[in-house]
Amino acid sequence: MKHRIDEAGVWNNNHIIEIVNLFKVYRGGVDVKALDNINLVIEEGEFLAIVGPSGSGKSTLLNMIGLLDTPTSGKILLKGIDITQISADERARLRNRELGFVFQYHHLLPEFTALENVMMPMLIAGVKKEEARATALQFLEDVGLGDRINSRPNQLSGGQNQRVAVARALANHPSVVIGDELTGNLDTKTSDLIYDLLRKLNKKINQTFILVTHDTELAEKTDRILRIVDGKLVCEMRREGDRFVSTEVCQTAEAE
Amino acid sequence: MNSRFELFVAMRHIKSRRRQTLLAVGAVTLAVAFTIISRASINGFEEVLLSIVFKMVPHVVISPKDGEDYIYLYRTLVESLQATSGVIAVSPMLISAATLSHEDGVQNVALCGTLPRELDRMSGIGSQSMLAGDLDSIQGGLRIVISKEVAEDLDLKLGDGLEASFPDAHSMNLVVCGIFDTGVEWDELAFVSLETAREFVGEGDVVTEIQVKLQDIYQADSLVARIRSQGYRADSWQRLFPEILRTIRLESVSNSLIMSLILIISAFGIANVMNMLVLEKTGEIGMLMSMGASSRQVLRLFLLESGILGLSGGLLGCLLGYVSSLYLNSLNLAFSSPAGQTINLPFLIGLQDLAAYLTFALILSLAAGLYPARRASRLDPIEAMRS
Repeated sequence: MKHRIDEAGVWNNNHIIEIVNLFKVYRGGVDVKALDNINLVIEEGEFLAIVGPSGSGKSTLLNMIGLLDTPTSGKILLKGIDITQISADERARLRNRELGFVFQYHHLLPEFTALENVMMPMLIAGVKKEEARATALQFLEDVGLGDRINSRPNQLSGGQNQRVAVARALANHPSVVIGDELTGNLDTKTSDLIYDLLRKLNKKINQTFILVTHDTELAEKTDRILRIVDGKLVCEMRREGDRFVSTEVCQTAEAE
Repeated sequence: MNSRFELFVAMRHIKSRRRQTLLAVGAVTLAVAFTIISRASINGFEEVLLSIVFKMVPHVVISPKDGEDYIYLYRTLVESLQATSGVIAVSPMLISAATLSHEDGVQNVALCGTLPRELDRMSGIGSQSMLAGDLDSIQGGLRIVISKEVAEDLDLKLGDGLEASFPDAHSMNLVVCGIFDTGVEWDELAFVSLETAREFVGEGDVVTEIQVKLQDIYQADSLVARIRSQGYRADSWQRLFPEILRTIRLESVSNSLIMSLILIISAFGIANVMNMLVLEKTGEIGMLMSMGASSRQVLRLFLLESGILGLSGGLLGCLLGYVSSLYLNSLNLAFSSPAGQTINLPFLIGLQDLAAYLTFALILSLAAGLYPARRASRLDPIEAMRS
């Protein structure tokens, strides 16, 4: 395994994701730059939101980080491994071990119970059923669904299903959990519940979260907000106590 | 190879999609059962055909050495043949053309000098086909057994006299001591004793051919080879009656073609169900892939699923086909043959037939599942989840 070596010659363990000069261009009659020279470092334990208008490229960026899409050029290092250079099988393996996904629609498998859905990433990894069952049970209790483990998705509410999806994303103890509009389909009360859950996990097990969202209220509860417009990272804000401080990049962009 | 995950998901699809599962398994079950019943009837038909024909025809016919008209030392040959294991009957024959005449009627026949006991063991004429009289009585000398057709043509009854003659042969008067009817057209045959035939052709203790009947008809070729090495000419039933083999083979080939077609059509049932499954599950396949299922795992999942459907259909079909064949066999279905005999058509099915059709059904269902499985394994996870 290749590790990222920083200037001091030591691999920086805290850098879960490093994105260097990332471009994604859709070729056609007119080339469309979905991502235009993105540079980004995400550290372990960060709770981060990516915002921007629809079509800005934020979902494309998320798919790149999630190994579901490949860039036209540039590098993405996941725990020091350049994931733009690896085989399809290796990408599948990393998605399984290092990443957890929660989408707008929960995408639970309808024929399986909540418990079985949470077990699924572990079964894909080849974990024994009994072991997977025990772990899945623990995660479902953590998201407050210990009493609904045998319910099918059609027997659960939208919020409950999304909590099952969160438990499933956590099943293989991934480095990063990626959420794509994960509260987009929920009412405010349920959204808050999901946020509280994610924040609790972030605090408790130092879980890294990257959320793409339209919901400014949710974004403002995170620790770091990245704004993407036309494939460019135009603004970055970090939480300092109760308020956000814009970085230089942002101020330059706003000044223009 | 760890296929726990694939098996887990495949089994759940099969269990929870009852209607589609029933459709796919049902199609294969019916096709396999139908194929097996048909195979059983073909097997039965072959058995009947072989048994009818081989009751009457010799399996090996030995003729004189090249350039000779007769087999001279036939007694030694007959004895050595009788001592050979697997030989049921050895019938020496002295055959000559003869003209039979009675009153105004004339009929040419093959006049066969024969040993009645051996001829009966060879063809069953003595014990099963006599309409009147007795085959053994030709041993009395100057007596003849004729077919029903000859008797009708020459207006002969039991006890009537006739004259047998031929250029270069010694004419003689013979008494009809038996009339036979085998159901097949053997109207140009008449039987006399070996002594009478020798007298007719004016030869010593010789025969023109020796007919041999075997326990196992497929032993004929090796026996033929042995006889030929002694200088005699010899032919097996396969050469003497090629049309029998051809009928059986043709029947087998056309049957196999039709049955394969039926099984292939049933495999389309599985292909259809699997296609629908992949279409319906596109979003879930995308999710499985984003969870880290490799395209090989997805391929295996869907192949496993069609394999399980095919195997279940195949097993059920084998059971249904086998039980139906046993039942049909127990009915003793009767048909009348062209010759007027009543034949019971048996239904015979062997384990190797069942195993062959089961394997065939499994291979076909895997082939049917291949296209949908490949399509599933090549889905793009993002595109798939959007659908």
